[in-house]
Amino acid sequence: MDTLVNVAHGLGVALLPVNLLYCFIGVFIGTLVGVLPGIGPISAMSLLLPVTLSGTPESGIIMMAGIYYGSMYGGSTTSILVNIPGEAASVVTCIDGHQMAKQGRAGPALGISAFGSFIAGTFSLVALMLVAPSLASVAIAFGPAEYFSLMVLGLVVLTFLTQGSMAKALLMACIGVVLGLVGLDSITAQPRLTFGRIELIDGIGLVPVVMGLFGVAEVLLNTEQAIKRDIIKTKITQLLPSREDWKASSGPVARGTVLGFFLGILPGGGAVVASFASYALEKRLSKHPERFGHGAIEGVAGPESANNSAAGGAFIPLMTLGIPPNVVMALLLGAFVIHGLQPGPLMISQNPTLFWGIVASMYIGNLMLLVLNLPMIGMWVQLLRLPYNVLFPLIILFTIIGVYCSSNNVFDVHVMIAFGVIGYFMRKLGYEPAPLVLAFVLGPMLENNLRKSLILSQGDLMTFVERPISAICLAFALVLLVGPLLPSLRRKRELVALDEGA
Amino acid sequence: MNNNTNVKLRLNNSELWGGLIGLSLGGFVIWSGLKLKLGTINDPGSGYVLFYTGILMCVFAISIILAAITEGGPTFASRWENARWGKPVLVIVCLAAFAFALEPLGFLLSAIPLMLLLLRVIDPVRWSLAIPLSILAPLGMWWVLKHLLAIQLPSGMFEIG
Repeated sequence: MDTLVNVAHGLGVALLPVNLLYCFIGVFIGTLVGVLPGIGPISAMSLLLPVTLSGTPESGIIMMAGIYYGSMYGGSTTSILVNIPGEAASVVTCIDGHQMAKQGRAGPALGISAFGSFIAGTFSLVALMLVAPSLASVAIAFGPAEYFSLMVLGLVVLTFLTQGSMAKALLMACIGVVLGLVGLDSITAQPRLTFGRIELIDGIGLVPVVMGLFGVAEVLLNTEQAIKRDIIKTKITQLLPSREDWKASSGPVARGTVLGFFLGILPGGGAVVASFASYALEKRLSKHPERFGHGAIEGVAGPESANNSAAGGAFIPLMTLGIPPNVVMALLLGAFVIHGLQPGPLMISQNPTLFWGIVASMYIGNLMLLVLNLPMIGMWVQLLRLPYNVLFPLIILFTIIGVYCSSNNVFDVHVMIAFGVIGYFMRKLGYEPAPLVLAFVLGPMLENNLRKSLILSQGDLMTFVERPISAICLAFALVLLVGPLLPSLRRKRELVALDEGA
Repeated sequence: MNNNTNVKLRLNNSELWGGLIGLSLGGFVIWSGLKLKLGTINDPGSGYVLFYTGILMCVFAISIILAAITEGGPTFASRWENARWGKPVLVIVCLAAFAFALEPLGFLLSAIPLMLLLLRVIDPVRWSLAIPLSILAPLGMWWVLKHLLAIQLPSGMFEIG
């Protein structure tokens, strides 16, 4: 009953005209960046982070969340019609989605993708409403040792799931921690790694780092290749899937939804992992696995549902524990902090308007996305024809302005360009930026909680293993760290390892 | 990978250099941690986490170097095989020039040439589109920021914008 009252209260907030407008802007931009290859939700969210300052915290967070789940919808359009994933979570949709389009079934592919996404998005929101308050009440009992261990687990899971060598991913995570510690020490107020630069006293900004590593580096990588787009030229008709399509897709949608939600909650997990896991699951369960890769609608329905469900699930660790499970949520945490808010176990009880308003707006946003992605599909197809050589200078201009506006400081523009160049070379040498960014955000919290727990326990390291939740997290992290040494687990890791770029 | 792209114990092994850079960074972080004072385990100092993170960095970097020595790795040339490497270099040069020009010249005088260069030099867009786009996009942005969001972009020594 309480939940229903809270939902009604949240709807009251979400239905305010200004919040509806922000929600629409968010899902519209989300769909746009999902559709356009070369710019993803991370770049778009960091670009718009400063814009959230102009409104209330609810409006800003509603818009940022809209960009994230909106991009999950939009990404499928590019995958199906052009065979280029609009963002990383839609990579797997290319496999069967584009084949369906080639066979003249682009309409049902887009349709099942949108409906599957809507169903999954709705489920994950209901689950978020039910799970988050209970988890938050449990999380109140968490001490610094639990927080430290959870963050370590989150970082280890992300490095485990990152493409390529695990040592490289761990090195990136360590560099991220170090970069996060630049600036004044929060306990002793001693400047660290500032090299005498006054601009570094407050630390390196999240926006220039993310925009450099994901925005500028992505542009540099894309300019290396002449991007060819094989857009399906036939008119897209019959967007509503047939009865047979629904029959084939209902199982994958249901399984993808549940699987995606739980993978979204896990630290280090997220939409990309969920979509790959769902595809693998559907192929394994199918009576005709040979159809996969040749236009099986299950290969679109499952992953698209999973990535949307995961997008909803990922809000749980952020809202209840204050720990972002992936880079996108780290940016959302940045948006909270900009507004002087600290997500965590107390947020739901102290700021119910904010929490329930965001949740309700996500439901409204899902409805908006259904309208944006089905009747208006023609508009997005037209946008796909925008050539990259016109698009990338505009992306660069947006990133420069976005970074400057976040701090009104030219130094941050220099930082962004430097990280863009570093990010380009990192990617070329096989070092993924995602662990670095998550560690950059978690670094100061990780240090704070480690030092607090050592002070409280008077230097007794057993505090991390005597507390059950902390011990479980550390044990799981250890398994993932040691696991790749075993050949069977190493092969499994290589199968699920992902590129979380853009 | 063939012998050209996967080489053992050669100086152009990109994995080896990646590991060496990681190792030197780790060494620097350890030194910084020591300089900031480690404190004790009961009362960790400002350099405590930096120091141990630096040690971890060295461990991971050494494992990358060992893998590069024992298993080999792609050469620098193979990393850029079939890539138009000159294009990103041009973009980087344009961005670096922009970064230096932004403060003295201001946003408009530095962004318009940057846009024109990016539109014409990388994958040339026709002049009739490149010129209006390179002028209107920065101008439009500047107008929106200044008049609607009250954000002042750098105006430079000529105070334009």
